[in-house]
Amino acid sequence: MADAKTWARVKSPWVLHFNSGACNGCDIEIVALLTPKYDVERFGIKLEPSPRHADILLVTGAVTNQCAERLKRVYDQMPQPKFVVAIGACACSGGVFAGTYNTLGGVDKVIPVSAYIPGCPPRPEAIIDGCVKLLNAINPPKKKKRKQVNGIKEATKSEVVPVVMEVKQDGKQ
Amino acid sequence: MASNNADMVSLLESKFGDKIQIQKDVLGTAAIIANNGIHYDVFKAMIEADEKTGITAITGLDFGANLGVYYHVHTTNQFFTIKAVVPTVDPKIKTIVDIHPGALFHELEVTDLFGIVFQGNEFDGHFVLSENWPDGVYPLRKNVDPTKVKLVPTPEREFNKPAEGREVKIIIGPQHPALLEPEKFSVTVDGETVTKVEPRIGYVHRGIEKTTESRTYLQDTYLVERVCGICNACHSYGFVETVERIFNADVPERAQYLRVISLELNRLHSHLLTLGHACLEIGYETLFQYFWRDREPIMDLVELTTGNRVYGSLMTIGGVRRDLNPEHVPKIKAVLNDFKTEKMPFFRKMYQDEPTLRLRMKDVGTLSREDALKLSVVGPVARGSNVDMDIRKIQPYAAYGEIPFNQIVYTDGDTWARMNVRLDEVEESINIIDYVIDHLPSGPIKIDLPRSVPEGEAIACIEAPRGELFYYVKSNGTDMPDRVKIRTPTFANIPSFLKTAIGESIADVPSNFVSLDPCFSCTDR
Repeated sequence: MADAKTWARVKSPWVLHFNSGACNGCDIEIVALLTPKYDVERFGIKLEPSPRHADILLVTGAVTNQCAERLKRVYDQMPQPKFVVAIGACACSGGVFAGTYNTLGGVDKVIPVSAYIPGCPPRPEAIIDGCVKLLNAINPPKKKKRKQVNGIKEATKSEVVPVVMEVKQDGKQ
Repeated sequence: MASNNADMVSLLESKFGDKIQIQKDVLGTAAIIANNGIHYDVFKAMIEADEKTGITAITGLDFGANLGVYYHVHTTNQFFTIKAVVPTVDPKIKTIVDIHPGALFHELEVTDLFGIVFQGNEFDGHFVLSENWPDGVYPLRKNVDPTKVKLVPTPEREFNKPAEGREVKIIIGPQHPALLEPEKFSVTVDGETVTKVEPRIGYVHRGIEKTTESRTYLQDTYLVERVCGICNACHSYGFVETVERIFNADVPERAQYLRVISLELNRLHSHLLTLGHACLEIGYETLFQYFWRDREPIMDLVELTTGNRVYGSLMTIGGVRRDLNPEHVPKIKAVLNDFKTEKMPFFRKMYQDEPTLRLRMKDVGTLSREDALKLSVVGPVARGSNVDMDIRKIQPYAAYGEIPFNQIVYTDGDTWARMNVRLDEVEESINIIDYVIDHLPSGPIKIDLPRSVPEGEAIACIEAPRGELFYYVKSNGTDMPDRVKIRTPTFANIPSFLKTAIGESIADVPSNFVSLDPCFSCTDR
């Protein structure tokens, strides 16, 4: 049963996006993730409007004084188990706004963070990579025994993924 | 009608005589030094002389013993600055909201950040600062170190209380599916009709204006770029343009042309984003996906020309950082041509004829020309309401003076007109980039300027995707600015939403609101 729950969570994580005082750069990249070019819905990732249905909280921004309380409240409303991903340099450490008077300088000053995705803003590919790494950390892919067919090793799942990504990048350039 | 410089200046001279001092070619066409009280009469005279007179921004300044209040005023084709001074202890000045409602937000902001009370427009609580900010501490004053301020527990404000009687208060935000950014709008409805909209901005207030004062000009170029992640090139350009005006620098022509490419790519992807977002707000998700799919090639062009998808950081004081690679030209032209010939006809057909869009956008949020002028709205919102106000035409900057393009004006004033202004501007932007690439002059792309900026002050107005973006920079001769004021287009446009939403259905609030192309990170800074 526990396995089934983990499987369901990892295969279809619902994410909630919260802007804690970001410049819009990261937020637009998150929306770009959902649109046809990057299309994360094929991985089962769905943007969910309500914190009460969400598994993963994507936070952008350096956390302004006015937003800090709301961020905590949104986090408290999410059901367990919950994970927080800090997206962008500001959410990780304050970024260019470190030391400004109205920001706290990082999401981890307010709520615990599971994954950090740096960049100003991170590319959509980087956000996908960060989410996949988080999901792998939640449910590490099991190492299968490699079958040998006519002396050629069958690739395991974790080996297939990077190859696909490489092809994509080549195709783009 | 005082449409040219000499008229307006001589009119003010003859009317006020010794009561005012006029400094020509300072902060726009002329700066008018007027005492508290006289500034009201001067502004009134300007409004009466030219119907297009409006407030661009109100800048607060700290001179030590005195506080300055600069009213940046635009007329049909010029900019003026009315300078008034108030004492630091118990600063009070007469409000101009009664003759020009568009000044409301500007005055509230100065009150919150500088503690200058506008008599007749007093308010309780905070406007851009956070609710738990202590009263009586004004972060932009020079003697305050806002990083050391101790926050207080959040007080109960009238704003949060529920409505009485048969009216119901609906709170939209700060975390809301329709808003990408945190901002709160409390909409009071009677049945389904909106009777009142109260905004609470300041959720994204990061204190950029104060922070610029403790960083060098070069660092500030990157800091102000991050005011907004969408129109970022406009912000960094606005800042470097203002600093170059203090230097009186002669920036190479090639740099000016390259800047236009960056600014227009910015406008292109910003408009496509909004055109798609508007579809999402009315529940037309397919068209939203189409717009965003076709926005991606434009993002690739931004990456190709600047090296980054979002923050290109192309602008630098004295020119641009990066030249256009001639090998990239065919690709840029191909993408733009493809968009113009393949994608545009479809989008145009959708916005012109599609019944869903017409039903949800026609006659929604209608803003009349008179109201548009009274509220000093800018950009596509003004141009959708038959106000021909495009800074690229009025006061050309960069290379816009040499580039032929059309100013798009619609007369309807509703959501549909505002969105169609943007759609037409997409095509104009493509034509501009095409023209610039064909007529790119040769020469250097940058001149070297000293790190320390000579003492002085300057303003710059540029046409960002959302409208007129205003920058004011005051330098004190060091390598750090003394004051940077940023007035962003959404800040000027929100008052129009507060007016047009009233009397309409609550269901029309999202489509009306998104037609302003709101950007709160700009608004709050």
